[in-house]
Amino acid sequence: MTAEADTAHARTRTYKPAMPAGWWLRKRHYFLYMVREFTALPLALWLLWLLFEIYRAGRGASHFYAPSSTPFVIFSVICLLFALYHSFTFLRLAGVILHFKVMDKPVPSALIVASQFGAWLVASIVIGAVLIGFGR
Amino acid sequence: MSAEPKAAQKPALAHLFWWFMFSQGGLFAAVLIPVHILVQGVLGPLGIVRVVDRHYDTWISILGNPIVKLYLLALISLPFFHFAHRLRYLLVDLGVSAAKSTPVQVVFYGGAVVVTLVTIWLLLTVAPLSLG
Amino acid sequence: MADKRITIRATRFDPDKDTAPRLQSYDIPFPDESMVVLDALNYIKSHVDGSLSYRWSCRMGICGSCGMTVNGTPKLTCSAFLRDYWPGAVTVTPLNNFPIIRDLVVDMEDFMQKLKSIKPWIIRRQELPLGAGEHRQTMDQIADFRQFSQCINCMLCYAACPVYGLDNEFLGPAAIALARRYNLDSRDQGTKIRLPVIAHSDGVWECSFVGECSVVCPKGVDPAKAIQQTKLDTSVRFILPYGNRE
Repeated sequence: MTAEADTAHARTRTYKPAMPAGWWLRKRHYFLYMVREFTALPLALWLLWLLFEIYRAGRGASHFYAPSSTPFVIFSVICLLFALYHSFTFLRLAGVILHFKVMDKPVPSALIVASQFGAWLVASIVIGAVLIGFGR
Repeated sequence: MSAEPKAAQKPALAHLFWWFMFSQGGLFAAVLIPVHILVQGVLGPLGIVRVVDRHYDTWISILGNPIVKLYLLALISLPFFHFAHRLRYLLVDLGVSAAKSTPVQVVFYGGAVVVTLVTIWLLLTVAPLSLG
Repeated sequence: MADKRITIRATRFDPDKDTAPRLQSYDIPFPDESMVVLDALNYIKSHVDGSLSYRWSCRMGICGSCGMTVNGTPKLTCSAFLRDYWPGAVTVTPLNNFPIIRDLVVDMEDFMQKLKSIKPWIIRRQELPLGAGEHRQTMDQIADFRQFSQCINCMLCYAACPVYGLDNEFLGPAAIALARRYNLDSRDQGTKIRLPVIAHSDGVWECSFVGECSVVCPKGVDPAKAIQQTKLDTSVRFILPYGNRE
């Protein structure tokens, strides 16, 4: 580096704008991304409730009550909406990340995504059948 | 602004591991959780369908099944590694750069480990193992 | 009917005189529907204000020089049509997430260093002797990496990436996509050599799959896809026994 280039570089002052804290409010795509990330919280809370349900079974029959309160149902509905958004975004993006070839031809991502949603459907039917079938 | 290439770059195996757990946990969460919320959280409490956890005898009976215990462990534990990773990065996205530090990683991933241990303990102690 | 006009608001920043950038408004004629933002900037520089500074070259979307933020979105100004914004004003600011040198010119040094760090060239353990001729590749082998080779280094993806905006240490979309381009090239044997940079804590793991990089990419490279696939391939490499071997 020549002396001229050195001083020229030293003289130039650059301006670095700060990233605004509300950057994710500026574009719809960024906002939806934050919603997607946020879904982890309601899902975690609902699973903690399920853990609590398991714990309650250990407290014996006399303490047991079936979950029925309106606030609980509202909480579940909200969590369900977040869960569905999580599932749709996650399984759709699985088609982007998974890549493999069958007989030297890459499998189309639409097919991979369809298989993910298919697995979700089958799992839901099976689990739903167990949850309902073993009840009375 | 870094003008020099970084010295001594090496694969971050811990990051790799937590990302892998995040991706597997996310898959389990996406495929398994919604039906549980629908049936156990909405349809059951509204009385629209019968559900196994609405009566003590059916609930304790199914909890005794070893396959059910393993399933519940996967259902609860793996997604929590997904949640831990995602919520930690949510904090990063909100500008909390401290969320990248090791102590915060210990809190989040350690939290997922704690949930796993609590789940194992509950599943082993709440209902006796029965193969019936 | 009066001749059509359009308002261009451009960032002005003189490092010797200004403490912070400001917007300057220019009202210019808009006679031709095929005019792009770059045409407007060139008109301003030629006829209104010769001090306006900005980068451009090919004006046809292949050199990657003219990337700027247009009404909040990173775009190649040679490919952003004024008719899509008219009669509203067009606000042209420097590419996001980079230091501003002057007016609409940003400091690219960070990106250049990151590009170099992933070694964007064919790496061979042993070069073929000249007598053996050229490397042969089938069309399928080219198809494996073709999409990721379309990158023109325009840096729109870095401007769109909030992860890079929050932490400039992140390796970034284009660098990772280009690393994958070479890793997937059948002629290349350098995956293991690129691994320490790719799998570094500031490498692929920082990406949280916002996906905006792929949205703004003018060449359809889909760097988000490249990054996610790299995460999976890298994880599997370490999780499978004997995976981390070339």
